[in-house]
Amino acid sequence: MNASAPLLKVDGVSKQFGGLMALSEVSFEVLPGRITGLIGPNGAGKTTLFNCIAGVYTPTKGRLLFDAADGARRTNGFKPERMTALGIARTFQNIRLFSQLTVLDNVRIGRHCRTSQGLFGAIFRTAAQVAEERRIVDEAMRWLSFVGLEGKAFFQSSALSYGDQRRLEIARALATGPRLLLLDEPAAGMNPQETASLVGLIHAIMKEGVTVVLIEHDMKLVMSICEHLVVLDHGMKIAEGGPRDIRENPQVIEAYLGRGAAHA
Amino acid sequence: MLEQQLINGLTLGVIYALIAVGYSMVYGVIELINFAHGEIYMFGAFFCATFITAFGLPFFPAMALAMICCACLGVLLDIFAYRPLRRAPRLAPLITAIGMSIFLQNLAMIVWGSRPKPFPQEALPAFFHETALTFSGVQLSWLQLFIFSLTIVLMIGLNLVITRTKTGTAMRALAQNQRAAALMGINVNRIISFTFMIGSSLGAVAGILVSVFYNTMYPTMGYNAGVKAFAAAVLGGIGSVPGAMLGGIVLGVAEALGAGYVSSLYRDGVAYAVLIAVILFRPTGLFGKAVRQKA
Amino acid sequence: MNTKTLLRNALLLAVLAIPLLPFAGDYLLHVLTLIMVYMVLAMGLNVVPGLCGMLDLGFVGFYGVGAYTCGLLTMNYELSLWLILPIAALNGAVWGILRGAPTLRLTGDYFAIVTFGFSELVVLFLTNEIWLTRGPLGLPGIAPASIDLSWLSKAINPEWDWYWEFIGEKPYFYMAFVMVVGVFFMMRRIEDSRIGRAWFAIREDDLAAASAGIDVQIYKVIAYAVSAAIGAVAGSFLARWTMFLSPDMFKFWESFLVLCMIVLGGLGNMTGALLGSVVLIAMGELLREILPRLGMPAETRFIVYGLIMVLIMRFKPSGFLPKIADAALHNPIIVELRRSLKAKGVV
Repeated sequence: MNASAPLLKVDGVSKQFGGLMALSEVSFEVLPGRITGLIGPNGAGKTTLFNCIAGVYTPTKGRLLFDAADGARRTNGFKPERMTALGIARTFQNIRLFSQLTVLDNVRIGRHCRTSQGLFGAIFRTAAQVAEERRIVDEAMRWLSFVGLEGKAFFQSSALSYGDQRRLEIARALATGPRLLLLDEPAAGMNPQETASLVGLIHAIMKEGVTVVLIEHDMKLVMSICEHLVVLDHGMKIAEGGPRDIRENPQVIEAYLGRGAAHA
Repeated sequence: MLEQQLINGLTLGVIYALIAVGYSMVYGVIELINFAHGEIYMFGAFFCATFITAFGLPFFPAMALAMICCACLGVLLDIFAYRPLRRAPRLAPLITAIGMSIFLQNLAMIVWGSRPKPFPQEALPAFFHETALTFSGVQLSWLQLFIFSLTIVLMIGLNLVITRTKTGTAMRALAQNQRAAALMGINVNRIISFTFMIGSSLGAVAGILVSVFYNTMYPTMGYNAGVKAFAAAVLGGIGSVPGAMLGGIVLGVAEALGAGYVSSLYRDGVAYAVLIAVILFRPTGLFGKAVRQKA
Repeated sequence: MNTKTLLRNALLLAVLAIPLLPFAGDYLLHVLTLIMVYMVLAMGLNVVPGLCGMLDLGFVGFYGVGAYTCGLLTMNYELSLWLILPIAALNGAVWGILRGAPTLRLTGDYFAIVTFGFSELVVLFLTNEIWLTRGPLGLPGIAPASIDLSWLSKAINPEWDWYWEFIGEKPYFYMAFVMVVGVFFMMRRIEDSRIGRAWFAIREDDLAAASAGIDVQIYKVIAYAVSAAIGAVAGSFLARWTMFLSPDMFKFWESFLVLCMIVLGGLGNMTGALLGSVVLIAMGELLREILPRLGMPAETRFIVYGLIMVLIMRFKPSGFLPKIADAALHNPIIVELRRSLKAKGVV
């Protein structure tokens, strides 16, 4: 496999809801090891694009190619669990944790697609099942300490602070063993310290060999960590490039400032 | 006698429609399957009979009074059982509704006894059971004619209320979006009470008509009728009032045909089959909005 | 052994000793056995609304399927209960899957309505297919359960005859006890496993569950099958215990009663399911005694049930034991993890 071959290729993807064109002909590539940022005003179609990539929606048109372990593969129409198994994990814009379960259980559930024991093993607690459970716990704890939540493993997840809940969601996603991680507004609702430590966390994730794509409104964060940006507006890609190019791109400035500087 | 069966099916159908409207309206405004609606229907019959036997009222005033009582009962049901749970998880009001249904059913057993009772026939106009019309061997009694005409009048009246009055408009607004309606200054609880009032009084009429038609009433009569009417509401598209009317009529006829052509044993099964089939294959019903998917 | 385990074991022993007590008449044992039947039902139902978060209003359908499977196999083929139990469980599971597969996409009210319709159709079938079920007359004279080990004893010593027929309430009491303990043990283990966690994930948020890699539809089907199989096992027991079945025994009311038990105990909590069964059945029996003395027919005890459900929903909507997924906390791996975290000082 070529090192610079794209991990994910979004090729002319469109998504239509009734009469609304939420995405039209969006194309870009996610290179492995490069943090890609997806930005654009509210309603630009960023989350819709994430949902297409993650298998929640099937694109109306276009191709999604994911470089799975067995070679590039068209993944249109795959269900979310299949995408997760292939190696695309995600977090949600409005946090979706299993709120009545413990922090540890949330992450253990992330290991589901990498484990295989069934009813028989569960009922009879076979040696293989116990060993697998042990591995699940070890993996889960590894990711919990990775995001700094080791000490809160037995908290009910809804009892965590907002920032911790975001981290937990990331840990759960990482536990699925992804090669591509989609973060939907990870810094939303975080205070400056939390945001700062999020930057560190994202770099650490990249070091683990997981490629990150993020949607974010916090421009300071985006400009500081993303090496590559894709800008959407009204469901269309209006620009793509490094942070500096994007900052000076007149079309991007218009998209943001043309309607007031709310998000700049 | 297929034609006769059809006419009888149609008679039952319009009665189902009357009950179904109550389910549909309540579902429309608060997205609750009001299981206790069948019991309101049963109370209608018992109230009416009691007013006749205990207070010596003639049939029509007794019926009007029973409607008023049931309207109050429906409103009280909402205020005491459902209103405190408006923000609770969906399971809570549903279980409460089933609980209230059991409560009311057994309350009726304590008050009136559990055995079937005949409807006090002496209060009815004598000509009710005489044949009004005969065409090609099919007989239509005055009672059936009365049921048809009363139901049609009530349905037209209901449609006028819903489409032409301010309260009706508020009701429809509520069904669309409760929060937006509240922000527009609609008194949500008042409109919900109004919905229960209308639905319950129509249910009472249905209960009275059925017990007159079959000359029997019993505390558990609300269960079967409730299920059938609910199936009718789903068939028509729950939340849609014209849908509920049509659904009731279609179900009544389908039952008559099912009993005639397939097997009379499974007469009651038609409603369940319709219920399941509609949900699996056409969840929006004949014309209505979908039942909310997310619990 | 900590105090909690000690207490639990003491309680189990105490229950086992009840039939030996002098005042333990048939009535008491009958009620206790009935409670245990409902315990099994409650644990079975709990899988769907409790663990997966799908409201099932027709659980009694599987109870009926199991009961009639057992009753008919006993009457027509004289099969042993021990052979029938797995067959009935399998038959229940098949019906669970048949009911579940077409409704996979349904959630919320839709699913509840279909389950309700299904169980009513089961009752209609039992009532109307007279050639098979004798209809409303029911199935009287089902043989009692028995343990036949004569083939073994004869092989050892031709004089011996290891054959016991279950007579009176005692043997059924013990059998029900074994059933409750077995199902409880099994369910706690499933709950504390990859499958149980997948169910809880679906209950909490099915989109997040799918994104975490869980095939929501498959795990729902597994839940329906397990739940229905447990219901059918309880039904089989019922058939050989009461030795009489009729369609009336499987009406909607029973589904609601079992649902009340798990709601009262706390949806998703197996211990809660047990608690709910004890409370509601014991209360029913008490009311049956008390109400006639107050001049009311015994049937009106249902009014109290209705009222209790309304009040619980109003004041204690998550039941008395609301904690879910607590079996996991007793797993040795987790206990060990907690200890080591504590030792490291991170907790």
